[in-house]
Amino acid sequence: MNIELNSRTHIKDRMSETLNQSRDALADDAELTSLVNSSFVLVEMIIDLQEELGVRFTQADMQDVSTVGALVDLFLEHGRR
Amino acid sequence: MATDENLCWLLSFYRTSEIGGALFFGQLARALRPSAIQRDMTRHFADEAQHARYWTECLERLHLQPLKLGQSYQDQYVAAAGLPVNLMEVLAITQVFEKRVVSQYALHSRIADLEPEVKETLQRIMNDERWHIEWVRDALKTMEADYGEGAIRETLTRFTEADRAVYRKIAEEHDERIDHLMLAQR
Repeated sequence: MNIELNSRTHIKDRMSETLNQSRDALADDAELTSLVNSSFVLVEMIIDLQEELGVRFTQADMQDVSTVGALVDLFLEHGRR
Repeated sequence: MATDENLCWLLSFYRTSEIGGALFFGQLARALRPSAIQRDMTRHFADEAQHARYWTECLERLHLQPLKLGQSYQDQYVAAAGLPVNLMEVLAITQVFEKRVVSQYALHSRIADLEPEVKETLQRIMNDERWHIEWVRDALKTMEADYGEGAIRETLTRFTEADRAVYRKIAEEHDERIDHLMLAQR
């Protein structure tokens, strides 16, 4: 398994734990807002993962991010910087 | 004095927003790594939960039943300002929101013929809110080296504009309910 796929898997595993959703629910095209009852849960998850992975992004970075896949890509992109 | 229905709605709105704040900061306090910010955020969310309790008890003392309201102020805020996605943005939106809360509560506390139960509750909560604003301001200061003073200032400005828009919208939607609050200002 290459490093990026492993990281992708790890990120989704952590998202699954924080959002209390099965991995099946976290398909790349799943809309983030459909996974939670409250948008604040997404905030918690995103901040928690940033702290864990040692990356940081802003609202501007998140502008076009609405799906699980796009969010994972953002984490990976910032992780490579 | 406000009609019972309007007063019930307004105090229920305050209560709902305090609950929203408690839940949000509670989730963050749970997610953060050990730090001064984690410590202060833990105290902050505990305070917000108490404030929700104070409003609940205030309503009871006035023989009113808390209304189950759909959206808190924070929900509309986030819709206008966008979700904060890092700790600095969370603290910035908190700072702006808490200043709005203090401003609103201070305005409410000045209206004529205010129910003593409401006045007492407002005072009690405002004492806590002052610390909320202070700790968040100090925490943002410590983040300047990391995020940049300009970025923090710009974020605060953006959220302040969103807050003004939300407040105007709520005031327009519920002008009859909160009109008496504005009259006290004249």
